[in-house]
Amino acid sequence: MCSACGYPPAPGHWTDAGAVTPGDRLRNRLMRMTVVNRILAPYHLSARDDGVIPGIQLSSGFGASVIVPDLEMLWAEAARMAGRPIDPLARDG
Amino acid sequence: MAEADGRIPLTILGGYLGAGKSSWLRHQLHVGGFSGAHVLVNEAAEMPVDHLLLAGAEGLTILADGCACCDGAARFVAAMRGLCDRRVASIVLETSGLSDPARIAAHIAADGVLARRIRVVGTVVVADALHAAAQLATEPLWLCQIEAADRIVLTKADVATPGALARLAATMAVVNPGAEVSGAVLGSAVKLPETHGIAPLAILPPENEAAPIRTLRLDVSAAASWAAISVWLSAVLHTHGDDLVRVKGIVRAPAGRLLLQAVRGTVQPPEILPDTLASDGTAEAVENVIVFIGRGLEDDRIGCSFRTLMA
Repeated sequence: MCSACGYPPAPGHWTDAGAVTPGDRLRNRLMRMTVVNRILAPYHLSARDDGVIPGIQLSSGFGASVIVPDLEMLWAEAARMAGRPIDPLARDG
Repeated sequence: MAEADGRIPLTILGGYLGAGKSSWLRHQLHVGGFSGAHVLVNEAAEMPVDHLLLAGAEGLTILADGCACCDGAARFVAAMRGLCDRRVASIVLETSGLSDPARIAAHIAADGVLARRIRVVGTVVVADALHAAAQLATEPLWLCQIEAADRIVLTKADVATPGALARLAATMAVVNPGAEVSGAVLGSAVKLPETHGIAPLAILPPENEAAPIRTLRLDVSAAASWAAISVWLSAVLHTHGDDLVRVKGIVRAPAGRLLLQAVRGTVQPPEILPDTLASDGTAEAVENVIVFIGRGLEDDRIGCSFRTLMA
């Protein structure tokens, strides 16, 4: 359990596979954010992972902010904030 | 072992896309079931992935690109004749997830050579305990597969709730009362809950003409990194998981080649594959390819989205 956020350490989302060393894991977390933000941009949402706090910080243009433990929760929470599903296949967002 | 009349026993292993056919078979081979059997794997998609899971087989033949019950039937019959000539002890056919086992048995019976040399000893159909209720309502093919079985194995029994599992077992007893129903977790048998007095799921006539299932092969080597691919894929699966009945792929990650497998938006923990397979030199070339099997793939929305977001 993280004493700052209260999330128990999860067994790991499938996207965490493929990075075994701590360095790779951190690099993975930071590199994800570029694509996450590209997908979230049409919904006026942004996400941040500073590599220190466990989890991803998701915020809306209106000031709402939440910390989510993994990408699965991120898409669910982003859909709730945006009021519609986050669809990376939509042509115009 | 060959039958007394000299015919080669054939076991047909069926089940819907991603039901767990290879996982089940891998465990059976591992514990010594089907010993001496030659495994014939049929894949509807262009990229064979399943053979990477079945390294323990006595002999292995892959029939990729074409389902053995329909457009690949001629190639299937030719491959079976070849196995007869090699006088293998027994054969296990792992069908593609889109085959109807009954039609495969019909192809064997209709072929003059195979009818005299092959005896179908059993049809095992694996059904995904997690998704079966949804497949029952939307996939007429799924129902055909269950009806064709002598033995039904409810896989992924650990992730379904005991209530749902009991209800599913009760439904199987209605759809195919003659079949023996058992449960399994990654191939090892588990006990199913008591089905006495449990109402089966309603079997509705299939909805009018659902969109056809297609396959799409996407080369992901243009993406910056595994981190980027995984983000994009997780977003696609989160929103379109119900249309994507199966996603398989091999992607290069910092730790090695990852084998990705998803069924309706549920992703299995990826396995790291060895970089080279001694037995099969061609397998090392497959990398950074993802195969999507599902509905609504016609207009290349997936390819467009990938190029836009990953470029």
